[in-house]
Amino acid sequence: MKTKKKNKFIKNNVGFFFVIPWLIGFCVFKAYPFLSSFFYSFTDYNLFKGITKFTLENYANVFMNAAERKSLIITFKYAFMTVPLKLVAALFIAYILNFKIKGVNFFRTAYYIPSILGGSVAIAVLWKALFQDDGLIRTAFAAIGIEMPHFMSNPSWALFMICLLRVWQFGSAMVIFLAALKGVSNDLYEAASIDGAGKWTQFFHITVPLITPVIFYNLVTQLVQAFQEFNGPYIITKGGPLGSTTLMSLLIYNNAFTSYNMGKACAQAWVLFAILMVFTAIAFWSQKHWVYYADEDGR
Amino acid sequence: MKKKVLAVMLSSAMAATVLAGCGSSGSSDTAATTAATEAAAPAATEAATTAATEAAAEAGSGDYENCTLTMDWWGGDSRHEATQKAIDGFKAKYPGIDVQVNFGAWSDWETAKAAEYVSGNNPDVQQTNFDWIGKYDADGTTFLDLNTVSDTFDLTQYDQSVLDICKDSKGGLAGIPVAMTGRTFYWNKATFDQAGIETPKTLADLEAAGATFKDKLGDNYYPLVIGEYDRAILMTYYLQAQYGEPIISPEGNFSYTQDQLKEGIAFIDKLEDEHVIPTEEYILGEGADSMDKSARFINGEYAGIFEWDTAAKKYITALGDNGSNLVVGTPFADMGPKGTGSYQKVSLMFSISAKTEHPHEAALLLNYLLNDPEGVTAMGTERGIPNSKAAYDTLDKAGMIDPMNAEARKAVEDSNPMYWNPLFDDSSLKGDSPALYTDVFDQLSYDQIDEAAAAEALYAGYTAIAPAK
Repeated sequence: MKTKKKNKFIKNNVGFFFVIPWLIGFCVFKAYPFLSSFFYSFTDYNLFKGITKFTLENYANVFMNAAERKSLIITFKYAFMTVPLKLVAALFIAYILNFKIKGVNFFRTAYYIPSILGGSVAIAVLWKALFQDDGLIRTAFAAIGIEMPHFMSNPSWALFMICLLRVWQFGSAMVIFLAALKGVSNDLYEAASIDGAGKWTQFFHITVPLITPVIFYNLVTQLVQAFQEFNGPYIITKGGPLGSTTLMSLLIYNNAFTSYNMGKACAQAWVLFAILMVFTAIAFWSQKHWVYYADEDGR
Repeated sequence: MKKKVLAVMLSSAMAATVLAGCGSSGSSDTAATTAATEAAAPAATEAATTAATEAAAEAGSGDYENCTLTMDWWGGDSRHEATQKAIDGFKAKYPGIDVQVNFGAWSDWETAKAAEYVSGNNPDVQQTNFDWIGKYDADGTTFLDLNTVSDTFDLTQYDQSVLDICKDSKGGLAGIPVAMTGRTFYWNKATFDQAGIETPKTLADLEAAGATFKDKLGDNYYPLVIGEYDRAILMTYYLQAQYGEPIISPEGNFSYTQDQLKEGIAFIDKLEDEHVIPTEEYILGEGADSMDKSARFINGEYAGIFEWDTAAKKYITALGDNGSNLVVGTPFADMGPKGTGSYQKVSLMFSISAKTEHPHEAALLLNYLLNDPEGVTAMGTERGIPNSKAAYDTLDKAGMIDPMNAEARKAVEDSNPMYWNPLFDDSSLKGDSPALYTDVFDQLSYDQIDEAAAAEALYAGYTAIAPAK
């Protein structure tokens, strides 16, 4: 009787044992750092000087301190510039590459490659070669008599240059859009054509509504990634000039690993997390107004 | 609705997520160690010098255990090659001691090391920076007091005054100061010839060169280029030349008033206004990672740099066939009534971890690298002109001391350099933004703030780490 009970217990809980390694990893590498960073965010914890006081200043400074507020604003600008542009670019290219055109596989690969290059040294070199004072873009425009701005050193243009890098790397979003476009039935387009709908009408009244779940997915993931962007400004401008490309992630990194102000860095990370929570929640709330799930009744 | 809540939670979670074993070996030679200590006394004659050199090598003899040591350093390729060659020599001389090495470029090196200090995983032997004593060894428990291994490492090869600089808060010797360094000017003689003037010998010469360059060579030619940190150092030279006091005293107090700081900032501002140095906007526009990679420096548009006396080699290499155009200048005697205002500091050190299980073997390695003729010959002058008398004699006799390096070192030594407090390089002041030198000198150069505001910001930054006198 006892053995039977024991066997039943094992049978019922064996799955739990299989996930123990993952749970341990999650607790040690995710949950503990996550919770301890919340604790440290209320302290003046310095990596080498320890904690001397508990304070709310770290949170207040994100909004009150000029440099931190500037970084927050720049991060918003960056996210709101890059996410729409990247989604539009990815959808547009995916739409074109969905047609049966010669060499389509080559173009799909070519457009995807930038997104796997990420924030590498090669990208830094390439971007500088394009945008520095003696770079390709300024030189080419100068040849036709157009004076372009100093992208690398002009605070107003440096952020634009960093944004372009992110928009250029639209490959992964494009592949997801492409998969969604392939799922739209040709019958719908044929029926629309018979009714006299043009390509643009078909796109906006058939394609877009049917791929809204994928647009929604890409929107959320791109929003999260944009707010967490680090590589671009780190490898190309180091946050300059005049802090004009110091996004929140870079500021957090500098505070944590250059100045060792872990308390401050943790508070900034939590503010960033809260912002992402809010935007993600808004996105999910809004989907009932614009995302169409074909397997549900209505929207 | 539940599904939506679950979806929000999952999405939020996604956002957060993104957020030497020993055995016995070796030979005993206590007598040699004693002899080394005795013989390493300052050499007044060549014979005595030779004896000291030999003794310094002998200091590294004696019992040792078979073990594995870990060691790391930062630097360029030539330093990596030289150090690896020296370590190979050490392993041949002391079979049974293995040395596992880790080396890389300076970029982000300190960040990685800081994490090691926090976790206590720093290697047995390590190249360290002078200011790391205050930063990472504040309680004197990170680096071994090298006095405790003085029977193995020959400390008599170093002037006591130099060793005294490297003491930790408990009075222990936290590192061996490999070399001293200070800033001086280097000029591209070809560009100055092109402008029809001599390389600057005085501050007045330099100030006059700005206008000459602009008139004769064009707007894109400058007699000197200096970045944000260089500006902070040159401003310090200027202030120290005016008032004769180190900017931060040995006791850790900031020496100047806000008005005096403003004078120093005005001096830098004036250099920019008079076309002596380019604006930060112009420098950053090129997108060069460092000045030795700047096309404007390489093609002679930037005709002068203000650099460490140990750093000439990379600039000569950058100039390629035109390397011989680079000549050593001197800190300016007319900088102010109190002299050049220059300072020198320990270039870098070698330290032994306080947690090492093999302090004797680690000291053997250090002695081989820094005092033993074999090791010293392999190491060369990759870390500057050595402080070790035995090492200097070895390299001097072998003709291995680079004349330009020696000339730059002499220029700094002859400039009557002042004391330098490592607080000057505090992480709140030096480094990428948010660090004060970068932020203030960038904003000043971009005309975002005036001299008074720059002085106010710098004064607040300095006095936050070094209270005013």
